[in-house]
Order: sequence, then structure tokens, then C-alpha cells
Amino acid sequence: MSYAYLFKYIIIGDTGVGKSCLLLQFTDKRFQPVHDLTIGVEFGARMITIDNKPIKLQIWDTAGQESFRSITRSYYRGAAGALLVYDITRRETFNHLASWLEDARQHANANMTIMLIGNKCDLAHRRAVSTEEGEQFAKEHGLIFMEASAKTAQNVEEAFINTAGTIYKKIQDGVFDSFGIKVGYGGIPGPSGGRDGSTSQAGGCCS
Amino acid sequence: MHESDIHDLSDDADYAVASKQGSSSMTRADDSKRSSYSDLEDAEIVYLKDNVTIHPTQYAAERISGRLKLLKQGSSLFMTWMPYTGQSSNARLSGRDKNLYTIRALSFSDIQSIRRHTPTIGWQYVIVVSSVCAGLAFPPLYFYSGGVREFLATIKQHVLIVRSSEDANLFLVNNFQDPLQKTLSSLALPGSLANRTPSSSSSPSYGNLEDKYTSADGHLSSMQQNNKQRQKSHDPARDISIQVLEKFSLVTRFARETTSQLFRESLVDGHGPNEKRRTNWASKEHQSQEMTSNDVEIVPKKVPVPSDPLEFDKLSLVWGQPRQRPLGLQEWSTFLDSEGRIVDPNALKKRIFYGGVEHNLRKKVWTFLLGYYSYDSTYAEREYAVLVKKSEYETIKNQWQSISPEQAKRFTKFKERKGLIDKDVVRTDRSLPFYEGDDNPNVRLMHDILLTYSFYNFDLGYCQGMSDLLSPILFIMKDESEAFWCFVSLLERLGPNFNRDQSGMHSQLFALSKLVELLDSPLHNYFKQNDCLNYFFCFRWILIQFKREFEYEKTLRLWEVLWTHYPSEHLHLYVCIAILKRHRAEIMGEQMDFDTLLKFINELSGQIDLDPILRDAEALCVCAGENGAASIPPGTPPSLPIQDSSIYYQDDSLL
Ligand SMILES: Nc1nc2c(ncn2[C@@H]2O[C@H](COP(=O)(O)OP(=O)(O)OP(=O)(O)O)[C@@H](O)[C@H]2O)c(=O)[nH]1
Ligand SMILES: [Mg+2]
Repeated sequence: MSYAYLFKYIIIGDTGVGKSCLLLQFTDKRFQPVHDLTIGVEFGARMITIDNKPIKLQIWDTAGQESFRSITRSYYRGAAGALLVYDITRRETFNHLASWLEDARQHANANMTIMLIGNKCDLAHRRAVSTEEGEQFAKEHGLIFMEASAKTAQNVEEAFINTAGTIYKKIQDGVFDSFGIKVGYGGIPGPSGGRDGSTSQAGGCCS
Repeated sequence: MHESDIHDLSDDADYAVASKQGSSSMTRADDSKRSSYSDLEDAEIVYLKDNVTIHPTQYAAERISGRLKLLKQGSSLFMTWMPYTGQSSNARLSGRDKNLYTIRALSFSDIQSIRRHTPTIGWQYVIVVSSVCAGLAFPPLYFYSGGVREFLATIKQHVLIVRSSEDANLFLVNNFQDPLQKTLSSLALPGSLANRTPSSSSSPSYGNLEDKYTSADGHLSSMQQNNKQRQKSHDPARDISIQVLEKFSLVTRFARETTSQLFRESLVDGHGPNEKRRTNWASKEHQSQEMTSNDVEIVPKKVPVPSDPLEFDKLSLVWGQPRQRPLGLQEWSTFLDSEGRIVDPNALKKRIFYGGVEHNLRKKVWTFLLGYYSYDSTYAEREYAVLVKKSEYETIKNQWQSISPEQAKRFTKFKERKGLIDKDVVRTDRSLPFYEGDDNPNVRLMHDILLTYSFYNFDLGYCQGMSDLLSPILFIMKDESEAFWCFVSLLERLGPNFNRDQSGMHSQLFALSKLVELLDSPLHNYFKQNDCLNYFFCFRWILIQFKREFEYEKTLRLWEVLWTHYPSEHLHLYVCIAILKRHRAEIMGEQMDFDTLLKFINELSGQIDLDPILRDAEALCVCAGENGAASIPPGTPPSLPIQDSSIYYQDDSLL
């Protein structure tokens, strides 16, 4: 199928926070609690439409376990967007966000759009991290934030699509280089679309 | 370019000889041969055998059956092999294929040697090596209706044939020189290997390959530790050349360039020497004009990628040995003495390597393969061991079971470990009936075994991937304590895969890159140029022994084959290479970068045909020989660790 852009996404976060479930909910619109834990990386893809342009999301669902980090670090290269996920019922997954962010900053393109997701918000009765804390962390680090549930599908579409919207806007604004974005057969939509070498102008992180 | 190629070939004495003898028996369809063939019509048939079959591809099902004859004309003896018409096991075998393999009239004056192969299971076959065309071998002729003995006896009546003093299965025809020397010189190995061709004084090493495995297996670890000395004193060219010729039995028309390929001919500069040579050989050897021109045309155009040994993939090699049916209960009992000892563990391993084990026998056999029982234990000893081990297991299990909630509060490491295991056992093979459904008792068992293991080996603890390794073991053993101890045995070897610093994985990935460099330098160079040399795309394959790449039953088969350590402890690395080589045309042709390659490899899951891969892996392993073994650093998993202390040392700041 033809598309105007292809965005590479990467989903990161501690093991068991629900990265694979989020991906499956987004690509297949179902919650499958008995799938296997992730070793290395798994892939998913879906077409979305932004500004009437078909955009293909190629999503890398990575393994969360600490000891796989040296491998997973090699997956960041070229990602346009990242979903950084924690589990609102397990505080330690929230506490580890800083180290995930550090990995992302070190190994990904500086202009990568990062969406922070507090997953499993259907389990409100077991909540261990408040919404405000999530918001606060996102604000401090210049991330977009949402609470979501892979189980009920709440905010799952929004998380993936809003991220794409932000990336798309960066392209329109010319603040993005071609990293993680491939121009598809549909042609180049904006005057500055897919322009190379503009990263430096953008500087720092983005919001 | 062209000039240098000619020069290249004119350097090759055999090329010169061969081109003078253009009408040799190898060019079976050319004019002179046709006449000699028709001459043969009045020859006397001294031997005739039906159902003599060749397997032109690695698929055992693909075969061409025909009639083998020995014809006597005057004082000359000829061999013919004609495929039956209109009968083919497989539609993919075209008439052209049949035509290609037909042996119209091979004079025994053009035969250098015949080797008889007698696999323990399967049909006897012979490989005929020509003396005219650079020592090329014809494809193996399988005697489906027997008659090898008679075949050789008949030959003996009519031509001078002697049994090699080095190898009782090798029969030398019209040749009283050192056969090895001749084979080697006529091989004209390219590049560095050729220079290392042994001097005439070295004694031939014609040993049966299967025997080689056995001895290699037995001495593996000590050999690895002596790598350095070995490399100095041992010349690999000798063994490899014979192995390549005979083990692979390259189909005549491809033999030359494949041999070159296997010897890492410098192919980096693709469209040059390799293709040119291919063309030359094509025109020299091909039986029909039509085929020749086809090949010459197709090859350079089809693959625009440099270093086009891509054609390698399509070679009709008889790779490795045909797979056999799995070991069954009846045959199993023949391996045991009256008290239950395994009389010949190597024979057993070899048998399992080539066929695997029937499902209902796995519980018995795996305990030996994994090293939980020793091969020389008796029934009685094992019965006793089960009881001892069971109580030992219970003791360790009790260590964590007795941790009270109060104590757990102050035992973060335990809580974290347990939490991880809780989360992971419900995400391991839950779609299998054995593990499916809520509150499945087997999931509970998996949990208990993993947690007990993390106490048994507290330094290593628990790491993701372990549940993937345990799942099939529990599925086969069914018993908690036995599954635990088998798992322990497995992790004796694979434990380093889970070292927190990934050292075990890195050493395997490193060895893999060395082996690819040895066996497929163009692919190696491609990975190098594309920043793929870390081989991370093979990470999952190695970490959990291809568990996610095959359906469950195939994984069981693969594992028992790997656990024999029969041709090599590191066969799994050759399995990686076999898979990569099957897809090298796509990988290089589509110019995959790291991302694309990773995704491509991931998506091979469920698409890999196990048996042919195993045969390729065996072939690659044999081909790499001691150079291969030398590429793998000592102590690389699944070798047993060199020194025991602190190999599971974990950084305490982590889990
Ligand atoms: N209630 C609830 N459970 C969820 C949700 N998302 C995931 N889970 C459960 O959390 C567990 C872990 O989910 P996964 O998607 O496998 O976690 P992961 O982040 O991919 O973990 P790794 O692959 O190990 O890195 C699963 O057993 C799911 O059933 C959610 O939104 N709500
Ligand atoms: Mg996952």
C-alpha cells in the first residue's frame, strides 16, 4: 500500500508494563493477555491518516528486561517516535523512567517525539502512581503524556496517533531531518517535508 | 578483467589438461562422446542394477531413479547411468535435470576413485570421482536395491582397482600414485588454502567423516584449549578438500565454483574472477550447448550485487546426510545392556543426531542427552538417583517456600525475582494445551521450578528466556523434580546466555561472525559494510536455541539434535549460518540495512524448514572443520565453562 510517510516508532519501558499489549491493541484492536514475553524485539505496523495523508507506522516493540538493554539500545537508531510506558500499578516502573529516557536521549535522534504512557489505567483500584505525578514528569522532560489501558483500549489510538501528529507537525515546520521518516510513494506533502539536515536548527528537545 | 581471468586459469595446470581433453567423458553430450556412446551399443553388459538413484537436491524426497550398467567393450570398461523416463518423484525435477545427471558412457580410464558409503541407516551409496576433470565427483549413486558389493566386484574383474590402504571404503582405479596428492593438486585450491597444500610426504587423511565426528566430539574441549598448537601443526586444506569433494558430492557442473566458494575464494570483487571462472567452467563442463549459454547469460544479469556467489543458494548440493526417522523404543533398547547402561554413547548420539527421538521416548533419552543421567549408569542406579534428587530438590524448594510474608518484606531481591517469575510464567507458551487456561497446574510447576532454580543458582538468579528453555523440558519430563534437574543440566551449558553482562551471548555472536567470515566471506563483508557485524539479529535464535523460530514439535527435534554435540558442540552456530545462507540472496540482493535485516530475520519465525537446515548446518560444520573449531573461543556456550568460579558473578547493583 502506498503511503506518504513511514514513521519508525519504538516502544520502551520496564518488562511487564504492557508494551506488547499496547501494540496489539493498536494494530489488531484486541487485548490478548496470554501472549509471550518479548525477547529482543517484535514488529507491528499500521496505516493511519494525518491531514489526509496516509502514514505508515512501523512499530518496534522492545524487550523491557534490564539485561537486554545492551541489545535494545541498538534499536533506537532512526526512530521518529517513542512510546515510553510505565505501569500505574507498579511504582518501580515509574521510578525507572529516568534511565529509559537517558537511553533514548543517548541512542535516538534528538528530535524523536516521546510519548509517556501510564498504562493499565483500568486498574484504578491498584493505582500506585497518580496522574499528577505522570503529568509532572512529562512536563519536566518535555514529553507528551497520557494514561491508557491496553485492556480497555482507552487512549491507545490517541497515544499512537497523537505522536504521529506531533511528528508530522515537526516535518511541516521543517524542524525534523529525515531520520526515522521515509517518504513513501504518495509524494512529499509539505514544502519542507523530509528535508535533510534541519535537525540542528531545532535544537534540544521538543514539545 | 578478462585478461587476468585467462591468466588465472592458464596458471591452472588442470585447466590446461582439461581443455585439451575437451571431449572427455564429463562432457557427455558432445559429439565425440555421442559417437563413442553409439559405439557402445554392441558392448557387453557385465552388470546391471535398477533403482540406482541420485538426490539432486537436499530434499530426500527429490530423487531421480535410474539404471546403472557396466559395459565391456574390448578391454575397456564403461559405466552408464540412465534415469527412467517419465517417472519423477517431484515435479520440480525437470527433464533437463535428468538429462544433466545422465552418465552416458564414463570410461573407467577416466575414473580416479570410487568410494563406498555405508550409513548405519539408509542405503549404501557410492561416489565416483573423475580423474579427468580436476577430480570432480559425480553425485552419489544410492543403491536402493542393494548391489554395491557386486558392483565393485564386477569392476575388479575388468579393471585394475585397489583398495586404499588408508581407507577400506576407498577404491582407487588405475592409479598407483598417492591418491591424495593427485586429488589435491587437481583441485587447485584458490587463494591461501592452495598455498598450504600439504607436501607429498604427508599421509593421506581419508578417514570416514563420521568417525571424525566421533573423535572430534570426544576431544573437543582439550582440542579447543590447544588451538594454537593445533593450528600450527595441522593443515586444514587436506581434510577439507576431500570432505568437500566427497561429503557434498557436488554435482559435476557446479563442483568447481562451489568448491572455490567453500574455500573462500576472494569474491569481494564480484563480477570478476568468480563469474568468469564460472563461465569458463560452464562451457568446459556442460553437457549441452543450450545449458551452457543459459548459465552464462543468466548469472551475471540476475544478481547485480557484488560478489555474486548468490548462485550458491540454488546449487543442487547433496548437503549433509539425509535425515532419518526418529529413534524408536525398540531400537533404543538395542543401545542398552542388560543392566541399562548405554553401551556406546557415541553411536547413540550419532543416531539421534541424524534422526531425533520419537516423542514417547523423549523423556527417557533427554535425561542422558542433557547429562542428568550418565551413560554408564544402570537401571538400579538411576532409580536410586531419582529418589535422592527428588529429596534434594524438595530441600532447595523449601528454602523459598519457608520465607514468611514478614521475612519477604525485608527480602527485596526475593520479592523482585518472584515478581518477575510470576509475570513471565503466565506469558510462556500459554497457547499450548499443556500450559493453557487459568490456574493451569503446569504454569504453577514452571513457577516453582524457576524460583527454586534461582535459589539453587542464586548468583545467576532468574532471567527472561529461562522460561522458554524450561517449557519444553517440563512438557517432556512432566515430573517436577526431574524437569528441574534436567533444566539444571541444560543451564550448566547455557547459563552464561543469561549473564547480566551478556558475556555468554557476546562470545557466541562473536564466534558466529568469525564463522561467517570463514564460510561466507562475501556475506561477512556485506554485514561489515552495513554495520551488522554485531549479529544482534541472531540474538533470539541463540539465547533460547531457536525456540521462537520453529513450531513446538520442531523445537524439540532441534534441541535433541543439538544436545548430541555430535559434529560439534556449537552446531547451533552453524544452524544460524545455514539459515542466513539460505537467505543471503535476499539479504544482499535487497541491500538490507540493520533495521530491515532485523525485521526480516524476525519474520522468518515459523518459516524455516528444519531438516534441510540441519543438513546444511552439518555440511557447513564439516566444511569448516578445525578452522571452524578454532574460530570459536574456548568456553563459548554451550561448552562447559572453563573455570567454575565466579562465572555467574552478577553486578549487585542490578537485581
Ligand atoms: N489490566 C491490565 N493488564 C494489562 C494491561 N496491559 C498489559 N497488561 C498485562 O500485563 C502483562 C504484561 O504485558 P506485556 O504487554 O506482555 O508487557 P511488556 O511490556 O510487553 O513486557 P516485556 O515484553 O517483558 O518487556 C500481561 O500479562 C497483560 O495481561 C492493561 O492495560 N490492563
Ligand atoms: Mg513485550
